[in-house]
Amino acid sequence: MAELLSNAAIPAVFLFIVVTAFIKGVPVFDTFVEGAREGARTALDILPVMVGILAGIAVLNGSGLVDIMTGLLQKPAEAVGIPREALPLLLIRPFSGSASLGLFAEQIKEVGPDTFLGRALSTVMGSSETVLYTLAVYFGAAKVKNTRHAIAASLISSYAGMIAAIFICRIIQ
Amino acid sequence: MLNVIWVIMVFSGIITSVITGRTKEVSDAILSSCGQAVNLTIVMLGAMCLWSGLMKVAEKAGIVDALARLLKGVFRFLFPGIPKGHPANGAIAMSLSADLLGLGNAATPLGILAMKELSGINGNSPVASNAMVMFGVINAACIQLIPSTVLIIRHQAGSAYPSSIIPCVWIASLVSALTGIIAAKVLERVSKDPGRNGGKVLRYLV
Repeated sequence: MAELLSNAAIPAVFLFIVVTAFIKGVPVFDTFVEGAREGARTALDILPVMVGILAGIAVLNGSGLVDIMTGLLQKPAEAVGIPREALPLLLIRPFSGSASLGLFAEQIKEVGPDTFLGRALSTVMGSSETVLYTLAVYFGAAKVKNTRHAIAASLISSYAGMIAAIFICRIIQ
Repeated sequence: MLNVIWVIMVFSGIITSVITGRTKEVSDAILSSCGQAVNLTIVMLGAMCLWSGLMKVAEKAGIVDALARLLKGVFRFLFPGIPKGHPANGAIAMSLSADLLGLGNAATPLGILAMKELSGINGNSPVASNAMVMFGVINAACIQLIPSTVLIIRHQAGSAYPSSIIPCVWIASLVSALTGIIAAKVLERVSKDPGRNGGKVLRYLV
């Protein structure tokens, strides 16, 4: 049901927009091209932001900083009930989409997808987003320089969700 | 602020790589990240054209307006200050629906369009408005009905019940979104004017 919904959503929206506009007498294709041209410009505007963000993340990923941080945070995390094995994913998830996906795919094979840890990692992964990238792209496209509390609030939200994910998996077996 | 965060990322990463002896890995990663950025942009270029074009058609046909009128109650709380009947309402609604349905390729372009509309209301200022921050935070909270990528990976890893995590994902996403909304509403008071009265410290924090 849900799968059908997400498969049919794009064609349905596409059809609905085009037909409604046609009935209302909008020059459909000309309008589409006009909008698409603006879209192309926006996408190119984002490229420099992407290069900067991905380069910064590449430095972090390649440096081994995550391993060092995992070592440092291991004791305090276990004291509050966060398993040591989940730390690398928690640390990297908000910053790098590709690195966290790779890490997740590797870890889930090791621990087994239906164990507590496997479920916890899946839930962390499924309920969180690459915060830094999302914000950089959105605000970059709008040419915002001062994002105010956006990064702070998003990181708070992200960590609340991810830590909640681990405890929820303990309760719901 | 990315001006500060970026420096921290680059500085701590490179210093660490010198200590751990991984300068070669870092150097390779930096170079390949540029190509990766171009690939991502090209993938997005097409999707961005498609959705910007469709949104333009929808706007001219009055669909965006109708959608905005439908959702005005919820939006008045989350995004105060958007004028009635402004296309931003419709753009936000479209973007959040795409998020919810997990349409990754549509969600990002639609989100960018919505952010640009919100920026227009803000006079295209280089300082984000409360509504823009709220929109960014809600997007970063990843509200999604079916986490399809995770389910596929679980299936490939041999899970007997790949979709058994869905209820947990919903609760966790809800916790994340609600915490984000509260955090944004609370922090918008303290980060109101990041140039004056003690705003200097804050500017580096947020």
